[in-house]
Amino acid sequence: MSNSNVLLSIKDLHASVEEKNILKGLNLEIKPGEVHAIMGPNGAGKSTTGYVLSGRDGYEVNSGSVTLDGEDLLEMDVEERARAGLFLAFQYPVEIPGVSNLEFLKASVDAQREARGQEALTSAEFLKLAKEACKQVNLPVSFLKRGVNEGFSGGEKKRNEIMQMILLQPKVCILDETDSGLDIDAMQVVAEGVNSQRSPERSFIVVTHYQRLLDYIKPDFVHVLADGKIVKSGDASLAKELEEQGYAWLQTEPREDELED
Amino acid sequence: MSEWLQGAIARGQQVQDGFSDQRAASLALLQEIKWPNRKTEAWRYTPLRAVERSSAQIKELSPELEPVSIADLQFLELVFVDGVLVSLPEELPDGLVIEMQESSLFGTIKPERHIFGLVNDVLAADVAVVRVAAGAVIEQPLRISNLMSEGAEGHIRVLVDVAQNAKVTVYEHAESQSGSLTTAYTEFRIGADATLEHYRFALQSGNQVSIGGSHFCLLERAQLNSTIIGFGSDLQRLDTDIIHRGEKADAKLNAIYLLDGQELFDLHANVEHEVPNCTTEENVRGIAADRSRAVFNGRIHIHRDAQKTLAELNNRNLLMSDKAEINTKPELEIYADDVRCAHGATVAEIDKKALYYLRSRGLTKGQAQVMLNFGFINELIDQMPNPTLAEWVRPIIRERFAQMEVK
Ligand SMILES: Nc1ncnc2c1ncn2[C@@H]1O[C@H](COP(=O)(O)OP(=O)(O)O)[C@@H](O)[C@H]1O
Ligand SMILES: [Mg+2]
Repeated sequence: MSNSNVLLSIKDLHASVEEKNILKGLNLEIKPGEVHAIMGPNGAGKSTTGYVLSGRDGYEVNSGSVTLDGEDLLEMDVEERARAGLFLAFQYPVEIPGVSNLEFLKASVDAQREARGQEALTSAEFLKLAKEACKQVNLPVSFLKRGVNEGFSGGEKKRNEIMQMILLQPKVCILDETDSGLDIDAMQVVAEGVNSQRSPERSFIVVTHYQRLLDYIKPDFVHVLADGKIVKSGDASLAKELEEQGYAWLQTEPREDELED
Repeated sequence: MSEWLQGAIARGQQVQDGFSDQRAASLALLQEIKWPNRKTEAWRYTPLRAVERSSAQIKELSPELEPVSIADLQFLELVFVDGVLVSLPEELPDGLVIEMQESSLFGTIKPERHIFGLVNDVLAADVAVVRVAAGAVIEQPLRISNLMSEGAEGHIRVLVDVAQNAKVTVYEHAESQSGSLTTAYTEFRIGADATLEHYRFALQSGNQVSIGGSHFCLLERAQLNSTIIGFGSDLQRLDTDIIHRGEKADAKLNAIYLLDGQELFDLHANVEHEVPNCTTEENVRGIAADRSRAVFNGRIHIHRDAQKTLAELNNRNLLMSDKAEINTKPELEIYADDVRCAHGATVAEIDKKALYYLRSRGLTKGQAQVMLNFGFINELIDQMPNPTLAEWVRPIIRERFAQMEVK
């Protein structure tokens, strides 16, 4: 394995939540510009992977290592990981009434710029950017004035996540089922948002259950995550295979915690 | 009995005007009353030392004071300085009358149990009576300013009678300089199908004493939307009473308090559901920093006949230091069986999921915490029906908030 050109490296990661082992030896290497799709049955640990990488409280790393751009990610606080270029689009974005979306976005972008040694944007400059980002994900500009995700529909929340991604310009984007619950039009908006951000420097982990998203966002690799580790990897054709076969072939070995679910 | 109260009674005996009968009745009650101490339930957490020690005095000559002007908002102004009504609107819109005449409204909505309400009955020098005629829609908000100069004592009283189908906005505004003592009581009768939009802001803090109440009686299908914002001071006490007396009346009360230093703010909110089919929604949120203390008493009394009542009271508090204190006490008295009533009081922890979400976008823990705490208050400011007033008060709250430290 050459490390020279690896953006995100996950090695033998074991993690638990509330004493329950969820990730059981996860390995993944992502080079700049690559798109990796992660598929797999419910409860496999896909969301947990995102939470562990982003540093959420309560998600305990028991062993293994993760580096982002060669830096030890697991040593960093939540906000430091974000400032280092990690972005997680949440499966269930949080509603925060009373905190204006615009104020939140500005503070996030300010933090990001500070981390890169850039000057803070003026309010006017930021507003212009934010309006453009709104347009790009097809959200009315009035959403900037509302509370963060407050009263947004499922699809609007997901588009708000993509808007944040566009504004923050991260290095590694993890999209956790950003397509779930979206109709085909909304899914296309999300896919276009993602595709507009693809670049030789930026990488994506796209967690999805559906092949249809991958018709729009062409992955370089597709992985199957089951019971806390990657059990199969392949190219885009694997997604088609999974769509046809489902995950029944995984059931040959019963999961140890199956009775608890 | 306290010396302060004795002095008040002695002065009250000399007040003579059109309200003499009502004043005499209150005076008689005051002479019998026990000065509250720690065992008096309504004052349990709010000691009256600040009143007893106050050297505030009625002034012969008061400075000229003017209420703060608010961009893009013109008010019909009713200005009291040191308890004296010094200015009335020059011109009144059709359907609005302000008079200084006797009124049977006096003391009929404010319950007798408020001791300082009785003091106010006796001592309020100029009782202003505001009448909104049936069907009148008064576009311009009426502002009642209670301005207190340094070391002054003053008592103000306003009665507002909103006749049926009328609509009006009343904003009670207070500015007090140091060492002053004031009582300020308002009584509102909201007629059938009438609407009152109400604000009461007490944004001063320091060593003033301010005690008062806003009391509302709602007749059939009347609507009340009230927003109260208070900073603390040496002693800041507010009583509100919402009385549902006509069916299908609807009341919404949002209250915010932000306390710092050693300030005290005490809000007693009482709701009487006397008749069926009325609704009440109360949201009370407070933040206490440093060594400040907030007291909130939320009582809902659903009378036996008041079937199909819908009443909700939610009180949420955030403590920004371990020395800050919140005494919150729900009181539910329900005598009807077919009602929906919810009452919750919490001293909240910060929302961990929201904190994580903000940090995952690069905000520091401190930044995120401040944003969430402010958001907690801001949510109620967002609900103010008057957006211009909301935009005026928001930065004031923000600034106040920025000064409050997390300890
Ligand atoms: N906070 C938690 N407490 C206990 N168990 C959890 C918690 N979060 C997730 N889990 C468990 O971890 C496993 C993986 O969950 P998750 O990562 O959400 O799966 P996926 O996203 O692949 O559907 C599931 O068995 C789930 O029940
Ligand atoms: Mg998931």
